[in-house]
Amino acid sequence: MFKNNFKIAFRNLKRNKLYSFINISGLAMGIAAFLLILEYVSFEKSVNGFHKNISSIYRLLNENTKGQTWPQVEPGWAQKAKESFAEIKDYCRFEEGVGQGIVQRSDKKDATFREVNMGYAEGNFFQFFSFNVLKGNAAEFKKPNVVFLSEAGAKKYFANENPVGKSLVLFNQFGKATYSVEGVFSIPANSDIRYDLVFSLETLKNPANLNDNGWARLDNLSSQYINTYFLLSDGADYKKTEQKLISLRNELKKDKDGIVFRLQPFANVHLPASFSDNYQTTGNLKYVYILGIIALLILAIAWFNYINLSTANSLKRASEVGVRKVVGATQQSLVFQFLGESLLVNCIGFVMALVLVQLIQPLFNDIIGKELSLRSLINNPVWIMGLGLLLLGSLVSGAYTAFSLSNFKPVETLKGKLNKSAKGATLRKSLVVFQFSISIALLLATALIYRQLNYMQNQNLGVNTEQLVIIRGPEVGRDSTYSQRRTAFWNDITQQSFIKDYSLSGTIPGNGYNFATSGFTQPGSKKGDELKSYSFAIIDSRYLNTYQIPLKAGRNFTEAETGVEWNDNSKVMLNEKAIEELGFASAEDALRTKIQWDERQLEVIGVVKNYHHTSLQRAIDPIIFYPQNNSAYFSLRLSTNKLQNSIAKLETIYKRYFTDNPFEYYFADENFNRQYITEQQYSRLFTTASIWAIIIACLGLFGLATYTVETRTKEIGVRKVLGASVFTITQLLSKDFLKLVCIAIVIASPIAWYVRT
Amino acid sequence: MIKITGLEKYYRTEEVETIALNKLTIDVKEGEFVAVMGPSGCGKSTLLNILGLLDDPDGGSFVFNGIEVAGFNERKRADLRKKNIGFVFQSFNLIDELTVFENVELPLIYNNVKATDRKKRVEEVLDNLKIMHRRNHYPQQLSGGQQQRVAVARAVVNNPKLILADEPTGNLDSSNGNEVMQLLTELNEKGTTIVMVTHSEHDARYSHRIIRMLDGHAVTENILI
Repeated sequence: MFKNNFKIAFRNLKRNKLYSFINISGLAMGIAAFLLILEYVSFEKSVNGFHKNISSIYRLLNENTKGQTWPQVEPGWAQKAKESFAEIKDYCRFEEGVGQGIVQRSDKKDATFREVNMGYAEGNFFQFFSFNVLKGNAAEFKKPNVVFLSEAGAKKYFANENPVGKSLVLFNQFGKATYSVEGVFSIPANSDIRYDLVFSLETLKNPANLNDNGWARLDNLSSQYINTYFLLSDGADYKKTEQKLISLRNELKKDKDGIVFRLQPFANVHLPASFSDNYQTTGNLKYVYILGIIALLILAIAWFNYINLSTANSLKRASEVGVRKVVGATQQSLVFQFLGESLLVNCIGFVMALVLVQLIQPLFNDIIGKELSLRSLINNPVWIMGLGLLLLGSLVSGAYTAFSLSNFKPVETLKGKLNKSAKGATLRKSLVVFQFSISIALLLATALIYRQLNYMQNQNLGVNTEQLVIIRGPEVGRDSTYSQRRTAFWNDITQQSFIKDYSLSGTIPGNGYNFATSGFTQPGSKKGDELKSYSFAIIDSRYLNTYQIPLKAGRNFTEAETGVEWNDNSKVMLNEKAIEELGFASAEDALRTKIQWDERQLEVIGVVKNYHHTSLQRAIDPIIFYPQNNSAYFSLRLSTNKLQNSIAKLETIYKRYFTDNPFEYYFADENFNRQYITEQQYSRLFTTASIWAIIIACLGLFGLATYTVETRTKEIGVRKVLGASVFTITQLLSKDFLKLVCIAIVIASPIAWYVRT
Repeated sequence: MIKITGLEKYYRTEEVETIALNKLTIDVKEGEFVAVMGPSGCGKSTLLNILGLLDDPDGGSFVFNGIEVAGFNERKRADLRKKNIGFVFQSFNLIDELTVFENVELPLIYNNVKATDRKKRVEEVLDNLKIMHRRNHYPQQLSGGQQQRVAVARAVVNNPKLILADEPTGNLDSSNGNEVMQLLTELNEKGTTIVMVTHSEHDARYSHRIIRMLDGHAVTENILI
């Protein structure tokens, strides 16, 4: 029986080539899109899952009065908490950012790179987390001046040599220090922690290694710069520990800043457990859900094609059903037969989808910015769900056809009495409307996302980032001659005819702030105002000119003011938002009043018009501009002609004064737009997905149209005989479908609008 | 073998109700060859459908082989049908996607006959009906006469007690038609009961008895033998 059914199914596919093509290719496209998105979803779900202790590890977060959370906490809490609470078995701290600098091979100066994927980590880093140490001994990491490299890091500095035993020199704000390479480790693709170089935090325990940066002391309770993870004992209630940590903080923290501690399960660090969980995460649950829903919708469109085409085609099968019933087939055996056929078509579609996935995987990876493959599905339970869903879908889509076909009365089918036009027509029409509503809604949503992205990228930020080249300041060779060399460098630079403007600053638009802090008040402040947080931007006297940020009131810093030592400075500028936060009635009001920063009095000399220092998605922050000659960023506005020559010239000058420092540059506008990289990726992904959906839906519509023409051949013949032109017949046939698509547009538009808002 | 008494069947649409069978009473004995004749719309096809357990009567009694089957559900009817009844249609009704062999094999599959036995039985029947050489052809590759032979082969492969033939020669030329009638006669001679609906007086003469119908009644009976 099975063989016979299979034979029939196969021969039917062969005979109705067009239907088979539409059905199978539609399913293959639908399943391929589904699999690709499933890869992404299962990857996102698997992030950090490889850590053996994940269920007992918690990340410490700060939460401010507005409910915002961030993972950078003061480094002193970890040890205090471990001493105070028995359920804290261990802790591990690591930082991302403050240690960044230039790394050089001690024996080979041409292997010098500015590093971003680097940081200091606790001695137990390789026991606490489950990275695989490939070379060397993990225990060595407990010592000071030790560095472990990822495979990529090892390759970058040592190519194919064994790096263990060699050494690297790190130049950063903690000065120059030599580190012995004692290990190489691997980083799974699904790890949030991605260091190419990890330096032993033990090094910074010695205050002599801090280069006068007292704020970075590992026992301090005032500078928030380190990530802290706790390992709790089995069965410990982390919510209780969280309460204890909050009390500990209240007890030991002198300046009240309104911040409370939160413990976040490590398992929720990438994706929260639910939408109500507002803690900072490294991934985005919303996108995972949206993509998951899109995957299901695309799959549904493909299955609707199957239902539509097979019910339309079922009239052709009706006489077969009749004959089978006459010779003894029961309804059950027919249902099995047609379900089997549906499974067969779905299986062929599935196999073709696998091929399709292989073909479009590189493109998909490019869009999503990840290295995914079908293999990434295998290690995750999500794929079982996915496969189950595929099976269920094939059965459900097959079941409708199976039951409607097997219900045919042999008497009717054998005599050709079946009502050709009405059978299942309403269902088919509704499914077409549904398919096109989904496709059009996706397309509209994509257009809206695209417009929003476009708006973000082209909106006036209140700051001019065009034609601005950014060079990272030097780290190597910051000796007693550094300040002289920097002045000479600037003198040299400003004499170049292609330089229109230049500035030195600690931060630039698009790269966040130097830090954020609270404790600001003015005489008219209310209680609790000191808890408000303000962002710090360290700038020189040319910053506002270079970035063309207008002043609202008062004046800019003078060159002399930017030369004053940090602690001696008493002058700041504020943006309009900061004025508002401080509760001043007007900019002029602020200029007349001194503000208090804890014990220090500061004079507001200027009020800067609000501008977007960070992404447009974020509200404008209250900013305090602090004058310093900080050389983290050199911003240079170049004249437009011969850009490459100008940059080559810049490199020569840079190298002349800052030998051994890598010359790296980028454009400020591109750098700013990099904040939208996720939005760009998703916008491209949504566009692709909606085009994909439209293609599948159109394939189905094409199939249905062919079917309609087939069933109306006689009518068309009669009309032609009576004098109808090709045009009027085309009109007649398209009218019905156009009507459906129009209904779909009417349904889809409000959906798209709703989804977007 | 067949005993129907006061059989009724109506067809209803929203506006009209048509009486197809009006208290029809007929007997068919085992081994008989009966022809049913009458003008279009007199109810002969309806009668055949009910006899073949393809359709339900709306009233009256239908005893098949001593069992009252008028109230049988779909499953019971299918079971009784596949074991006892073979069909031959005017338009052959072969499945286009199956070869001659596979078409004939189909009833055996639904009767759960083992594959080896099936092969033997199908070959035997094809041989008897002289279409063995066409076993691997598809229906559309055969002439009308050959297709009807295949249909007859399919009807008899299961050794049914009753064959119902609905204008079996209607789509055939006279020589092919005669061949098919000959085949049916031979089957009848071997003991199979046959009920045949036909418009053709010529074909009807092959039977033992002609029942003439009008407006759902049996009006006359001509006994030929």
